Amino acid sequence: MNTPRIILVSLLFLGIGLSGCTTVVPWERGILAKSEMALDPNPLQSYMRSHNFGAREASASANAHGGGGGCGCF
Amino acid sequence: MGANGVRSAGRNQRQVSCDNQSRRPPGNNKTLHALTSAAMVLPGLMLQPAQATEVDADSFSFQYYRFQEGKRNLFNVPNKLDPIQADVIHATGRLSLTDRVKFTFNYTRDTWSGATPVTSAPLATNGNRPILENTPSGTIVSGASPTVNTQILLDRNLNPIARDPLTGEVLGKDTRTVEILSFASPEVRNAADFGLGYEWNEAALNISGGLSSEPDYQSVFGNIGGRLDFNQKLTSLKFGLGYTSSDISAILDHDLVPYLTRTAFEGQIESRGGSDIFHEDRQDFTGSLGLTQILNKQSLVDVNIGYTHSTGYLGNPYKAMTVIFVDPASLAGSQDTLITGDVRALMEQRPGNRNQIAVSSKYVHYVNPLSAALHLNHIFSYDDWGIHANTFTMDWVQPLGYGWTITPRIRYYSQGAADFYDPFLFSQQNFSSNAVDASGREIWVDSNDPDTEFVRDENFNLIDSSGNVVDESMLNVQPKTVPFDAEELPDHFSSDYRISGFGSLSGGVTLRKRLVKGIELQAGFEYYSRQSSLKLGGGGGTSFADFDFYVANAAIKIDIEKLNFAGGLGGGSSSSLHAEHDEKTHQQHQHEGVPAGVMNGHMLHKAGDFMFGYRYMHGRMDGDILHGDNVASDEQIVAQGCSDDTNCRFAPTYMNMNMHMLNIMYAPTSWLNLMLMPKFVDMNMNIRELEGRPPPQTGVHEHTGIAGHSTGGVGDTVMSSLVNLFNVPGHRMHLSLGFSAPTGDVDLEFRRVFQIDGGLVHFGMQLGSGTWDFLPSLTYTGDYRRWSWGAQLSGVKRMEDQNKSGYRLGNIFQATSWGGYRLTNWLSASVRGIYTDQGDIKGDFNDFNGRAGPMDFPANHGGEFWDIGFGVNASVPRGKFVGNRLSFEWLQPIRDDVNGFRLERKGALAATWSYHF
Repeated sequence: MNTPRIILVSLLFLGIGLSGCTTVVPWERGILAKSEMALDPNPLQSYMRSHNFGAREASASANAHGGGGGCGCF
Repeated sequence: MGANGVRSAGRNQRQVSCDNQSRRPPGNNKTLHALTSAAMVLPGLMLQPAQATEVDADSFSFQYYRFQEGKRNLFNVPNKLDPIQADVIHATGRLSLTDRVKFTFNYTRDTWSGATPVTSAPLATNGNRPILENTPSGTIVSGASPTVNTQILLDRNLNPIARDPLTGEVLGKDTRTVEILSFASPEVRNAADFGLGYEWNEAALNISGGLSSEPDYQSVFGNIGGRLDFNQKLTSLKFGLGYTSSDISAILDHDLVPYLTRTAFEGQIESRGGSDIFHEDRQDFTGSLGLTQILNKQSLVDVNIGYTHSTGYLGNPYKAMTVIFVDPASLAGSQDTLITGDVRALMEQRPGNRNQIAVSSKYVHYVNPLSAALHLNHIFSYDDWGIHANTFTMDWVQPLGYGWTITPRIRYYSQGAADFYDPFLFSQQNFSSNAVDASGREIWVDSNDPDTEFVRDENFNLIDSSGNVVDESMLNVQPKTVPFDAEELPDHFSSDYRISGFGSLSGGVTLRKRLVKGIELQAGFEYYSRQSSLKLGGGGGTSFADFDFYVANAAIKIDIEKLNFAGGLGGGSSSSLHAEHDEKTHQQHQHEGVPAGVMNGHMLHKAGDFMFGYRYMHGRMDGDILHGDNVASDEQIVAQGCSDDTNCRFAPTYMNMNMHMLNIMYAPTSWLNLMLMPKFVDMNMNIRELEGRPPPQTGVHEHTGIAGHSTGGVGDTVMSSLVNLFNVPGHRMHLSLGFSAPTGDVDLEFRRVFQIDGGLVHFGMQLGSGTWDFLPSLTYTGDYRRWSWGAQLSGVKRMEDQNKSGYRLGNIFQATSWGGYRLTNWLSASVRGIYTDQGDIKGDFNDFNGRAGPMDFPANHGGEFWDIGFGVNASVPRGKFVGNRLSFEWLQPIRDDVNGFRLERKGALAATWSYHF
């Protein structure tokens, strides 16, 4: 089944990522402070997209306030 | 640190870099965006909308977007129904009340309408029945209307056999499935939420709550979330908890109700005023845990796990499952003849609870040579309905210089079907059969007393349980019917395409431009395609449900903090800073007096100044129908309210109108201002039958049930220029010349009901004038010490004889004058008188309209109106938020002298917020 394989891949990805941890002193955090590096660089669009996808898909990261119908889900 | 020096310790501690580009310290960024990512992952619910729409600094944003679906494939009939279209406006703001306390709010209004699938069925059922229309060139198929109760031809293996939808000719085996579409009338949803957050040095806590309201669904929700930083803020741990409680009161589609089998839900359906209302509720609990870890100078990773537990009614009362009932007796025997299946629609049945888990991993990496950031995200979602889903997203945030940033993105999504999903079902039993007793004799019952059973003897006489002959003519007997055995069907079933197996691919781009003075404009576009064949691992099997959509959005964001330092950071001396503040305070006083309901009331007098404003207006009409200035009786309305050859049948009971207007004003010189005002409107109303109305006729559109109707979307857009005539201390006068562009629809239609076209919606419910209009106005304002006063003459002159629906609205003339008194240095009150004269509508609808009542006839519009207005204005005299102004005004109608027959007005409320910078 694909499910355990996908979990494995994500964990691997995570492992590789985390293994690159170093200490970053405050005066070196210039790049990290840039708005492009924010976890959500376009919050207005993210709100809109999650509303749209949530109205047509049944997974997590779906729309707030319900999920079946009658939730502004069109 | 110059201009920042006056701020308190909390913020300063996080000022880590003197780099001009780093506006916000990483710690602060991380709170908001970390919580955003947590919200992203919450399965089933995004329960922290406050954080999800967080903006970096104190700011206000306004976004509009249009969602437009493409038509679905109906195979053998033309699809003429407009697909789902939604117009959404979304306002969001963030304000620091103190250095550590912040307040956030969000407001959303969705308006949508369009064709939506009710169920899916074998194409052979011809569920989308062709609508025939006679034209000069012969009879053509002009569209399709849904039918869910039919017969279907099947072969012995239960394969559907198709018949031509028009001629009935047998065509052969056809195993295709099709969605049966029904048109959903326009609906409007309003949602708002508020939040408070507290920020410590290494932690943060947020609480928010809100509600969402639409005619059939009300939700209340609350969330709490927090963040802990470790390791010199290189690591952050976040958590979130939320709860949503929703109530459903759905009026079942009256076209569908006679054909819908709803025995499973009889207990929850209330019949009232000709409508069937389904009542249910649902609860959702969510919890999430996340970790953000900085990896090195230019990359970070973010992992979140979310869990949702939902209980209650988790289905959709407008969706049905097609069940084909086949008599097992007809399958017996060895012939090859075709059999008939009984096609029925049952309200869908989903489980009463659902548990979902989602795991999201995000990696952000700065690509040095291109100065861009790469965002990669994967979400895996799993639930106990059997739906497993994967989402892969990639965004590339690329600054282009000169304040431009472009972000292209691509997203791939795949989901497996729910365990109880099926396009349609077969059941080997009769939908209903005649009851028989132990000896095989048919049982008959009296309709007036169904508990007493009879059978017939060999002479066909009716006999009771003791064997006595009964006189049939005294009773109303019918064969007793036994409904199908629900136990033979699965416990849960649904044909909702949203829980089927499929994959989707979407791509889009967002463009942002930072202008001077902290204003940012954003625009974006995205295209999405749902394809059964894109499902990971294949086997979607639902290509009949494929569709696509596009979304286009535009937004404006105002960074409040940046603006106030625009002067200071220029390195001016402290005296020039004071001068700026004094100037602002003085202008505040000038503008204070203008009541909220007055448009174009003041000008900006300094070149380079901006004003951004938001105005909300709510108007209501209800009560009596007036004729001239007298109350009209139903008799009068029926006889005179419509036309010479048509008597009125219905009259309006109430009408609400909501308008949201954005006011963007710029002063290129000290004597000229340019203004742009987009408008977003929504209206709702209901009607009642008139006493003494003519009886209903077949083929004529009637209004049944208790549901009212609503419309909403983009309204007309006004562009004007304001010219200063004189501006001396104590007195000002300016002229405004504007144009209204007809961006609001004037061809909105009611949906077909009972196979009768609804026609164009009433004049007053269309979204705009449909014509280019000229809007001149002359305004005078004055002030002396605490007193202020003003007067305005304004008009609307329609510049075209008719809009695309064949009519034009009446011209308007308005005269108003007011007086105000400043109570404190930040609060003032006003009283105003208004006279309005509006002409009636010229021309008439050029397409079918139901002509149900006075609101459908041009002569019943316009008139003379007198109102009195009471207002309060509050403005921020100094400090961080100087330049902000909030006003409210209530307009009380004193006298209406209407043209023809029109509903009386109850009043209107205007609320404006403006920010002058």
